[in-house]
Amino acid sequence: MNVVVVGGGIAGLSTAAALRAGGFDGDLTLVDAGEFPYDRPPLSKEFLAGTKDLKQIALQPQQWYDEQRVRLINQSTVTALRGGSVELADGLRLRADRVVLATGGGAARPPIPGADSPRVHVLRTVDDADRLRAALTPGARVLVVGAGLIGAEVASTAAGLGCEVVLADPVARPLAAALGDELAAWLHGLHARRGIVTVPAGAAAFAEAGGGIEARFSSGFEPPRVFDVVVLGVGMVPETALAAASGLKVARGVLVDDRQVTSNPAVLAVGDAARTRRGSEHWEAARHDGARAAATILGTRPPAPTAPWFWTDRHGRHVEVVGHMEAAARVVVRGSFDAPAFSVFGLRDGLVVAAVAVDDPNAVRAARRMIDRRVPADPGLLADPSVNLRALLRG
Amino acid sequence: MSNGIRVAALDDIPEGEGIAIDKAITGTADDIALLRDTDGSVWALDDTCTHEDASLADGWVEDGYVECPLHSSRFCLKNGEVQGLPATRDTCPHRVEVRDGQVYLFPNQAP
Ligand SMILES: Cc1cc2nc3c(=O)[nH]c(=O)nc-3n(C[C@H](O)[C@H](O)[C@H](O)COP(=O)(O)OP(=O)(O)OC[C@H]3O[C@@H](n4cnc5c(N)ncnc54)[C@H](O)[C@@H]3O)c2cc1C
Ligand code: FES
Repeated sequence: MNVVVVGGGIAGLSTAAALRAGGFDGDLTLVDAGEFPYDRPPLSKEFLAGTKDLKQIALQPQQWYDEQRVRLINQSTVTALRGGSVELADGLRLRADRVVLATGGGAARPPIPGADSPRVHVLRTVDDADRLRAALTPGARVLVVGAGLIGAEVASTAAGLGCEVVLADPVARPLAAALGDELAAWLHGLHARRGIVTVPAGAAAFAEAGGGIEARFSSGFEPPRVFDVVVLGVGMVPETALAAASGLKVARGVLVDDRQVTSNPAVLAVGDAARTRRGSEHWEAARHDGARAAATILGTRPPAPTAPWFWTDRHGRHVEVVGHMEAAARVVVRGSFDAPAFSVFGLRDGLVVAAVAVDDPNAVRAARRMIDRRVPADPGLLADPSVNLRALLRG
Repeated sequence: MSNGIRVAALDDIPEGEGIAIDKAITGTADDIALLRDTDGSVWALDDTCTHEDASLADGWVEDGYVECPLHSSRFCLKNGEVQGLPATRDTCPHRVEVRDGQVYLFPNQAP
């Protein structure tokens, strides 16, 4: 059997790795547009800060592809899916009994007037990050639009590089659904403590202004301001052009079933490009998609489902989220928001449904197991930082 | 060195957790994480995750593996083998012996 994986992000690479780990012995080809597959989370963190270079964020070292017998076709794209084969940009055709679409997504570029200026950036690729870093010079006036995960990380990194940062978002407590109101407010408040100006408005229009770019805001109360750099961090758009052109069902992502199979049984889709009801556009979700797709191709049992998990870093704080906080009926704070480490547990019907930990990694690891194993939750014990969570897990 | 370095009492390391032993004591390039598995056994690995700067002694130890506290790559306690991304390199295991409730470390010796 021949498998072609389209896209070398974490989802595509995880698919290839899981196929080999599961004993797949056929031809395995990975086609990726970039120089080599690299990891994306550092692009708003260490890579943007300049403390890691491209080599250091490679997803796998070069020899991995040889060892795993994965044929990497880099700096190329798949342009068409045909029955039993795929076609590359240079016209080359590859046999493919199964195709796995792992094409990821692009940064959203809303149609804000003036946003086509070279001073307006987005962040999804290494090229984006290189261009942005060159602009983030000490003292540069930077506007970050969108205070979600990537916007907040870029604002934090830019502040660390000595930029004067304004962060604009019309939402008072960004990420409140994922983090809960109280923690979302606290986390957003870290920006101001770091000297970042937060503006409760969206960006309405940009215009060139002597030596900079003027931003007008969606709220009439915010006066226009001039910046050197604008970064739009307003979301991700799944890359579905190839899928759509190949007649697959697409609706804000390639539609897949719970085995990652698209509307064409020979084609699977994984990661940010795929749309499932799980709907989480994070690193680990993409990795698990890959493992599930491999199991589908191999006809083996998929890995056991586990509560979704992601991390984010800002202002030197490491934040991890597990489960679905929006499903919680009440929250329990373990420790205090002023402490060097603390966590928040979301409960419903006597069970843990979510947790958010700030520099408290083992709280979130315990919570994940409590969720997965449906361990009955005692709010009083969870709230007491002197209670060992591992002991609670053992029951 | 044949008896190893006494680095901790077994009771200092709760099951499922770890402690870091300073490289000044172990004489190794990195600190060494002493990790106590959920079956009570003790293992030793280079402490710094091979991905970024995290201490595996702060990780979650369970059923033969330690999970990194930052991005959750897992390493085999017995041989240091990395189980999955984002880390790509194995970490180095060291030999450990428990005698009379004391933990002895043999840095740079294979377990
Ligand atoms: C700046 C940034 C920071 C992030 N930080 C975090 C974080 O801290 N924690 C977290 O959990 N998640 C984070 N994420 C999200 C996480 O990185 C994504 O969910 C993950 O990268 C999705 O992986 P993927 O493989 O589906 O897609 P991608 O990583 O987008 O990879 C898709 C690949 O497919 C290639 N491709 C597309 N079309 C074709 C084609 N036709 N032919 C060949 N190749 C093609 C692309 O070039 C790309 O290399 C971050 C994302 C970004 C952008
Ligand atoms: S630092 Fe250990 S997995 Fe990233």
